[in-house]
Amino acid sequence: MDKYQQKAVRMMEWLMLIAAIILVVIGKLTGDTFFLRLATEALIFGGLALSVDLLLGIVGLLSLGQALYFGFGAYLSALILRDWMPSFWLCIVVVAISSALLGWITSFIALRSKGVYFALISFGLAQVFAKSVYNTRSLGASDGMVGVPVIQIPFPFITLNLGDAITFFVITFIFMAGIYFTLKYFLYTPLGRIWNGVRSNESRLPYLGYNTQVPKRIAFVLAAVVAAVSGALYPMLRGFVSPELMYFSVSGNAVITVVLGGVGTLIGALFGSSLLMILKSVIGTLTLHHHIVIGLLFVIIVIFAPKGIVGMLSAKLKVKGAQ
Amino acid sequence: MLESLQFIFAPQIINGLSIGVAVILMALGLTIIFGLLDVINMSHGEFYAAGAFLSVSLMSLGISFWWTLMIVPLLLVPFGIAMQELLIKKVFHHKDRHILTLLLTFGVATILEDLYKVIWGANTAKPATPITGASDILGVMFPNYRIFLMIFGAFLILSVWLFIYKTSIGSIVRAATLDRDMSASLGIPVNKVYALTFAFGVALAALAGVLLAPIYSVFPTMGKDFILLAFAVVIVGGLGSIKGAVIAGLLLTQLQSLSSLYISPVWSDPIVFSVMVLVLMFKPSGLYTGMKNG
Repeated sequence: MDKYQQKAVRMMEWLMLIAAIILVVIGKLTGDTFFLRLATEALIFGGLALSVDLLLGIVGLLSLGQALYFGFGAYLSALILRDWMPSFWLCIVVVAISSALLGWITSFIALRSKGVYFALISFGLAQVFAKSVYNTRSLGASDGMVGVPVIQIPFPFITLNLGDAITFFVITFIFMAGIYFTLKYFLYTPLGRIWNGVRSNESRLPYLGYNTQVPKRIAFVLAAVVAAVSGALYPMLRGFVSPELMYFSVSGNAVITVVLGGVGTLIGALFGSSLLMILKSVIGTLTLHHHIVIGLLFVIIVIFAPKGIVGMLSAKLKVKGAQ
Repeated sequence: MLESLQFIFAPQIINGLSIGVAVILMALGLTIIFGLLDVINMSHGEFYAAGAFLSVSLMSLGISFWWTLMIVPLLLVPFGIAMQELLIKKVFHHKDRHILTLLLTFGVATILEDLYKVIWGANTAKPATPITGASDILGVMFPNYRIFLMIFGAFLILSVWLFIYKTSIGSIVRAATLDRDMSASLGIPVNKVYALTFAFGVALAALAGVLLAPIYSVFPTMGKDFILLAFAVVIVGGLGSIKGAVIAGLLLTQLQSLSSLYISPVWSDPIVFSVMVLVLMFKPSGLYTGMKNG
C-alpha cells in the first residue's frame, strides 16, 4: 500500500462514518427505517466481503465458497436463538468458536491446493454443504428456518433491543468496524507481513526460513470466523435463514463486492457492499430486471477499473499530489 | 440377479449415458477454453441455455428440430468471437487474469440469465420430442430419443477428439495451448485461434442445449443448474484435458444415476461434489492434465 492508497483508505473510512451518522439522523427524524434496515444488511454482507478480501487481497487466495461459513453462522445463530436461548453474546461466542473449528477442519482440505484449484475446491466444498442443508428436513430443507425471535442485548447499564432499526444499525456498524480494525491491525503484525509475502511470492518464503502453511491456515480460519459471525447477524435482522445463503451466488456476490471496492484494501469490502446495495435498490425500483444493469456495471468495472473504487480514488490523489 | 441387472441397472445406466454425453459436450467446451486461454468460463451454462431457447424459438417458427441442431450452434459463433475479442482480450494480459476473467464471465452470465427472462419470460417451455416411440433392447424399453442422443453424442465427442488431435487446425490449437509466444513467432495467428476456440466451445455448449431441450424443460436458470455438474466433470478430469473430461463425465453421471437407486436422488449433487473435493484433495490438478497428449 503506497501513500496515496493509504490516504484513499482513510478518506473512505471517514466517508463510511459520515454516511452512517447521516443515516441514523435521518432515521431518527423521519422515523422511516427502510433504509436503515437496508444499510444494516449491506454491512452484514460487507462482513462476508471482508473475509473474502482477507483471503484474496491479503493472502492471495480466491475463495468462491465463502458463503459456506456465512451460511453456517446464519443457520447456527438461528438455531441457537430459536431453540436454545435468545442470547446475543452466547450466540456470537458459540458461532465464533464452532466456525473456527469448521474453518480449521476444512482448511486441511482447501489448503492442499493453490491458485485456481483453491478457488475450485472452496467452491466445491460450499456446494456440498449447501446441497446437504437443502436436503436436510430438520434444518427446514428448501424452505429454511423461520421464526427467529427479536432479541435484546444486555450491557452492564443498558439493555438494547434489536427490534429497533436504529439500534440494530448502530450495533452492526460498531461490530463491523471492530472486525475491520482488528483485521487491519493484523496486517501490521509479523503475521500480516508473512501474508503479504505469501501473496507476492509464496515459494520464496521458505528460503527465508518462514513456514507458509501455518500463516495461511490462520488466515483461512480467521476468514471463516469473520464470515460466520457476520452471518450470525443475518437471522437477527431478517428473522429467517434459507439455503440460498450458502449458494454460489452469495459467494460470487462477495467477490464482486471486493473487486468493486478495491481488492486488498479491506475498507473496499464494506464500501463496495454498501454501494452495491444502494445500486440494487435504486435500479430495482426502476426495473424488474436489475440483474442486467448490475451485470453490465460489473463487466465495465472489471475491464476499466480492475482496482476498484479505492484504486480509482488513489490514482486521482496521485495525480493531484504530483501537481 | 440377471433380472435386476436387466430391469434396474440397465435403464439407469442408459439414462446416465444420455445425460453423460450432453455433460461431456459442455465439459469439452469448458476444458478446451481453459486449456487454451486459462479462462474459467462462468457463462458457459448461459450458452447452453441460449442453445435450448433458440432451438425452441426457431421450432415455433416452423423450422424442424434437425435444422435447429445445425443452425443454433452457428448462430452463437459470432457471439463467442465477440465475447473473446471485446471482453476477455481486454483483461487477458493482466496479472490476475484468472480472477478477472472469472469475474468477467460471471458478469456476462448475470446479464444473459436476466436477458432470457426479458425475452422468453420466466415460464418453462418443453419442446416436443423429435423422435417419438421406444425400442426394445434386450427386453427393456428405451425411449428412441435417448438412444439417438447417446449415439449422436458419442459421435460428436469422437469428432471433437479427432478434430483436436488429428487435424492441422487441432494441432495449431494445441501448439497455442502449449506455448503462445512460440506459436505466434512461428506465424500462427494466436488471437484468431483464441477467438475461434472460444466460439467453438460456445457452439458446443449450445449444441448440448439443443439436444437436451426435449428431455428437460427450457427455463432461464437452466444453465446455472447444469453448469455446476459440468464444472465438477472438468475439475475431476483435470482442467484442460479432453480425455479427462470424457472419462470424468462418464464416471460422474454414472455415479449420479446409479447412486439414485440406493438413496434419494436429491443427494446425487452432494455426492458428485464430494467426489470432486476428494479428487482435488488427493490429486489437486485432477485425474489428467493438459491437452498435449491424446
